[in-house]
Amino acid sequence: MSNEEKAAVATGEELRIGVFVCDCGSNIAGTVDTAAVTEYAETLPNVVAVVRNRYTCADPGQNEIKKAIREYDLNRVVVASCTPLMHEPTFRACVAGEGLNPYLMEMANLREHCSWVHGNDKEGATAKAKDLVKSAVARAAQLQAREETRVPVTQAALVVGGGVAGIQTSLDLAEAGYQVYLVEKEPSIGGIMAALDKTYPTMDCSI
Amino acid sequence: MAYSEVEEVDGYVGNFKVKVRKKARYVREEDCNSCAECAEVCPVVVPDEFQMGLSSRKAVYLPFPQAVPASYIIDMEACLGTNPIACGKCEEACEKVCIDYDMKDEIFELEVGVVVVATGMDVYDPTELDEYCYTRYDNVITSMEFERLICAGGATEGHFVRPSDRDVPQRIAFIQCVGSRNNAGDKGNRYCSNICCMNTVKDTLLLRDHYPDCECTVFYVDIRAFGKGFEDLYMRSREEGVKYIRGLPGEIRQDPETKNLFLTAENTLTGEVREYEFDAVVLSVGVIPRRDSALVKKLLSLSTTGDGFYMEAHPKLKPVDTPTRGVYICGCSESPKDVKDSVTQASAAAARAMTILNAGHVTVEAITAAIDPALCTGCGLCAKVCPFNAVEVDKEKKTAWVVSAMCMGCGNCGATCNQGAVTMGHFTDDQYYAQIDALLDEDAADKVFTFACNWCSYAGADNAGISRIQYPASPRLVRTMCSARVTEDFVLYAFVKGAPVVLVSGCHFADCHYIDANRQTVKRVYRLWDKLEKLGIRPERLQLEWISAAEGQKFARVMRGLEEMRQQVTAEEVEHTKKVLAEEWEKKLAREAKRKKKAEADESRDEVQVS
Amino acid sequence: MSQETKFKCLKCGHEYVEKYAPDDDIERACPKCHSNSVRPEKPKKADVAEKK
Repeated sequence: MSNEEKAAVATGEELRIGVFVCDCGSNIAGTVDTAAVTEYAETLPNVVAVVRNRYTCADPGQNEIKKAIREYDLNRVVVASCTPLMHEPTFRACVAGEGLNPYLMEMANLREHCSWVHGNDKEGATAKAKDLVKSAVARAAQLQAREETRVPVTQAALVVGGGVAGIQTSLDLAEAGYQVYLVEKEPSIGGIMAALDKTYPTMDCSI
Repeated sequence: MAYSEVEEVDGYVGNFKVKVRKKARYVREEDCNSCAECAEVCPVVVPDEFQMGLSSRKAVYLPFPQAVPASYIIDMEACLGTNPIACGKCEEACEKVCIDYDMKDEIFELEVGVVVVATGMDVYDPTELDEYCYTRYDNVITSMEFERLICAGGATEGHFVRPSDRDVPQRIAFIQCVGSRNNAGDKGNRYCSNICCMNTVKDTLLLRDHYPDCECTVFYVDIRAFGKGFEDLYMRSREEGVKYIRGLPGEIRQDPETKNLFLTAENTLTGEVREYEFDAVVLSVGVIPRRDSALVKKLLSLSTTGDGFYMEAHPKLKPVDTPTRGVYICGCSESPKDVKDSVTQASAAAARAMTILNAGHVTVEAITAAIDPALCTGCGLCAKVCPFNAVEVDKEKKTAWVVSAMCMGCGNCGATCNQGAVTMGHFTDDQYYAQIDALLDEDAADKVFTFACNWCSYAGADNAGISRIQYPASPRLVRTMCSARVTEDFVLYAFVKGAPVVLVSGCHFADCHYIDANRQTVKRVYRLWDKLEKLGIRPERLQLEWISAAEGQKFARVMRGLEEMRQQVTAEEVEHTKKVLAEEWEKKLAREAKRKKKAEADESRDEVQVS
Repeated sequence: MSQETKFKCLKCGHEYVEKYAPDDDIERACPKCHSNSVRPEKPKKADVAEKK
């Protein structure tokens, strides 16, 4: 039994994975043959829908994901676009908007880790992109819904350093009504600016 | 809280617990009214650091007239002594009885939701630049000393005099980029300090304003006057007759009699090389990170860029966030900048902090660890390696459990557990095996298999992408939250599947986002090297690298190196490895199956007992 | 106790000696090629025996 099938058995549901391949204008499509990647994704296990978009993160692209979730009754989503360090929150919110648990969304990084760094090797980049999608689909098959915990935020701020930046931050936070603790190492606040005579470009006094 | 330092930070976004040491001032600041009677009678005279040592202060002193809090303080290093009391004059002189020789440091424990780091900068010390003779010639001063000489509240009450004879200098030179933009890299820094050009422009205008007859000459590389109103100010300086010469002097010589200074420089615009004579030289010194910035970095798990300034979470989209959620940076701790930029960034940091404060709650990613009590033997290994003390162990009941609110999801416990009892939320073993299968099922021999930690190496690979640094297309990368999540079995399995080369990569020691979890990575890799060697597999095929989020260059370099290595691994070698490890793997699977069976049996027995 | 230990760089093959203890908190890199794949040599059994 393959891993995918095992996972399906474990959760008692049929896996229905949607893959969304992003061109990112020419950022990805300029190097990676996204049409070929799209075709390849269709052959992967448990994949029931593959959609290629010009910009998946833009509203029309996100709407395509939402539409496909409804149309194909998707329970896993793979977005093959850019780094999750940037757009994971975007796509998690997108699938959550359609009622899918955000932890059932997985990304494949075809831009930062592929098209942008293998510009001289289109063939190699496309082969790699296919692998990255395959890996993301395999992982998606194993994903489980997760609930995030909410923790309260203490209504106070610590500001470390009492130079002009620390003072300004403290004033802003205090004016907004929050308790601020400004900690300064030296006997007086003021920092470097207090030691200056005049400041450019208006030549006004620094203290 | 002035004269205070943060000593400890615990907790996480929204719920930080901070320990602050308020150092003893020996003067009760709430009572002191800055009458100065104490300082008048104090017999100790020391250099005044606020005035850059250009004038003196007493051992009991007010840091500067506008100081906040407006309270005197006793410098205990300089004071003649209070135990036993050697002098006691200030206490006698203080009518309000504010002086307290027995004052002790106080520790405050604060609870805060967010932290803003605004620890500022230090000024470059030009002593190491032999050619400018800063410590040898009296009349070579720094731009910071210039500030204290030209300032009406300064050491000379605003009379700009040169140190050797206290005469007002007529011919003043400014030398730019002192300690900055040095690409040779041996002394000073490579980066531009941002503020020095405009600071010098300002200084020349102050001089021309105070002393209309003086001659100012600026030796520069480029004048960077790029801000609002900057170019106008620069033009004003030129119109005032300030001479700008493109070219830095090679050295400064001094006339031993007059203490005048001679500079030889080439004007690179005209090609003219000549010697100039000046009465005083101002070194326009650069900005450097705080000398103690490593302390705060460690306390708050921050990262630094190559130049030593604190690193932002994203260079464009999250310029005041840090890798640690709930912690923000602003001002010169982030990079050299002027007052306006510092204030702008400070307000940005305050606004970012308020997004969390105002919401009143944050959601924590559901990536925490869970321990299966049926498989757990209560050995406690996981608790030992947890950087956050989030695992509790009951030795008697032979079990352990995770306190979710404290767990950050690094996965160190998961990689340590011998019993397979730990499940990492959203980063399970099964998910990793599925990825390894997917990536190595076909053409494994052509691929360089890489484990990369979320915060540094994965982000470092992103950085290579953002910077368009090219490298071969063979690497296949799998993301782990921390390199300490990579179990020995993951690596072995990649070899079972035919990987020619495997890389485990994580944060540099100082940058580890899970305090020190990656120290365990090292131990695991050491063990793996031993194991591979024992099985007749070249340990070189497993590589270890620390790559920071800023090190796109290094990531690409490492990948090129690994590709070269991959090409040297023979098909026979890979086959041999697969064969040897497959046997090991079968044994492992058998062990696991047995354990699971036993756990299930125990569980059903327990259930019977309960019923 | 840290001891003079032979390290081998598994990237470039360079060998060098450095103080090392199993629990020291030092990020190591090859002095020649800067790779972090540096492996401490285990004290040989003969050395251990001698110490006894």
